[in-house]
Amino acid sequence: MSKELKPVTGRAWVFGNNVDTDQIIQGQYLTVLDYAEMARHTFEIPRPVFASKVKKNDVVIAGRNFGGGSSREEAPKVLLQSGVGCVIAESFARIFYRNGFNVGLPLLIIPNVAKLVKDGETVTVDISKGTVTIRSNSDILHGKPLPDRMLNLLREGGAVAWYKQTVGKH
Amino acid sequence: MGYTLAEKLLASHTNDGRATAGDIVEANVDLLMVHEVLGSRILDVLHEMDFKKVWDSSRIVVINDHWAPASDINSAEIHRRNRNFVRDQGITNFFDVDCGISHHVLPEKGLIVPGELIIGSDSHSTTYGAFNAFSTGLAATDSALILATGSCWFRVPDSIKIEVTGEFQDMVMSKDLILKIISDIGPDGANYQSMEFHGETIDKMKVGERMTMCNMSVEAGAKCSPMTVNGYVNKWMETLAPSKRWKPTLPDVDADYSDTRTYDINSSPLGPMVATPDNPTNGKAVREVSGVPIDQAFIGSCTNGRIGDLEIAAKILKGKKIRNGVRLIITPASKHTYMMALERGLIKIFMDAGGIVTNSTCGACVGGHLGVLGAGEVCISSTNRNFKGRMGHQNSRIYLASPATVAASALAGAITDPRSV
Repeated sequence: MSKELKPVTGRAWVFGNNVDTDQIIQGQYLTVLDYAEMARHTFEIPRPVFASKVKKNDVVIAGRNFGGGSSREEAPKVLLQSGVGCVIAESFARIFYRNGFNVGLPLLIIPNVAKLVKDGETVTVDISKGTVTIRSNSDILHGKPLPDRMLNLLREGGAVAWYKQTVGKH
Repeated sequence: MGYTLAEKLLASHTNDGRATAGDIVEANVDLLMVHEVLGSRILDVLHEMDFKKVWDSSRIVVINDHWAPASDINSAEIHRRNRNFVRDQGITNFFDVDCGISHHVLPEKGLIVPGELIIGSDSHSTTYGAFNAFSTGLAATDSALILATGSCWFRVPDSIKIEVTGEFQDMVMSKDLILKIISDIGPDGANYQSMEFHGETIDKMKVGERMTMCNMSVEAGAKCSPMTVNGYVNKWMETLAPSKRWKPTLPDVDADYSDTRTYDINSSPLGPMVATPDNPTNGKAVREVSGVPIDQAFIGSCTNGRIGDLEIAAKILKGKKIRNGVRLIITPASKHTYMMALERGLIKIFMDAGGIVTNSTCGACVGGHLGVLGAGEVCISSTNRNFKGRMGHQNSRIYLASPATVAASALAGAITDPRSV
């Protein structure tokens, strides 16, 4: 079932450049079989309070090359499990970028976003348009609109749902 | 305008035979390798997909390598699920916990073939570029989709041409060269791109040395890193995969590259390199960090756990003792590597020097087992990543270097130039 992509409003958690997947979820937790249990260790190294304070629809904001390193899909999965509504970065590492859309986690690219948004600020993300509105001053930051392939994956709810709608039917 | 290696290797796997940088193409996969991610994540995705049967059981390789043998109850459960899956699906290319690390075992078993499109559920799947293949890492959902359909979409990458000429000095290895190259490019300088290696230095490299280079291209963000076939690859294929039929793929002379970088290690001599915490692209000349005290020295992994790596370490360690209080851990890349090291007397040299030789596993490199670091500990390691917490406690520190530099450092108890011992 194709769903509408509603705007996401939440607090910003701002990170720097090169947040690798070990910083999102450390290798020692990869044998944990339950995502809810694993998600308690999200961003354990760079932001130890994240897992206990994150709320539904909060937005993760980062600098360049978010999600480099290991191919682990657990990285976008624990963000989704934690309630993160969107990740916005100046750029993403390629495997993380694929994985995000595959599991249904929206990812936007906006230049200088980590410098323009303050940690803890409330922002609204319009995923279809590729924009972020900062509540305190109504500034709007513009990213590149997502390619149709990625938007369709999000509308379907990830690659598995997309597969069931298309390939799996035949 | 001609085509790069990445374009040609992908084009031979699309239905219309086309692939130009920037295109999004659907390509037919020749081989899919999955490891513990199968049991921990992919099976759940397959269940959601109402999956029944793999697309081609002969084109799938399953390996239990990351926590081999099981380090805890969860990894034991993951291994159990993998064993059940290969039995139910009739997958014969299954390598259990006794075999070794995927990126070395697959080539050793003759499963990596030049010209092929190879996907692994592991970021270091770029390693097979050493065999003139298009190979890259994906994760659980993409692997599940390939298991079911045999195909996958790709954005055809731009290519950076890297040309290396000149000869290595004594005790300088391909690891030093790749640390230098990725440090110049930066952690995302090759993101979404192919790092295509050329030049007489690459042509003269043994297969293991080439694999180290392609293995670590991903640390600069590369999607793949194909090389052309050389004499050592030819010999490898004749010996280990005599039944496979293949043709070498060359880039066109007028191929379009996004960037070209040249290195002449004769005119600008390359010395041993060390990547400082917490990124593999923090490469520095060894003299800049020599003297940093270490708690552990580790030789192993898909990057540098091969026989050539063990030989140079043994040459340095022979008849000597490592510094009191330092742990030297050696994890051969495969069971076969271990057996060769045993026959050549290397294992005795390591043990006599005070080292610990483990079975083959990804183990310490992923902070899994057999060499996990404690709070505040410092490790010099022949592995591929020194991210914070990668090998254990978040306050441990990892310096990446060649097996020669690791061995020399184990003797001194501090980071040491291998040319000085």
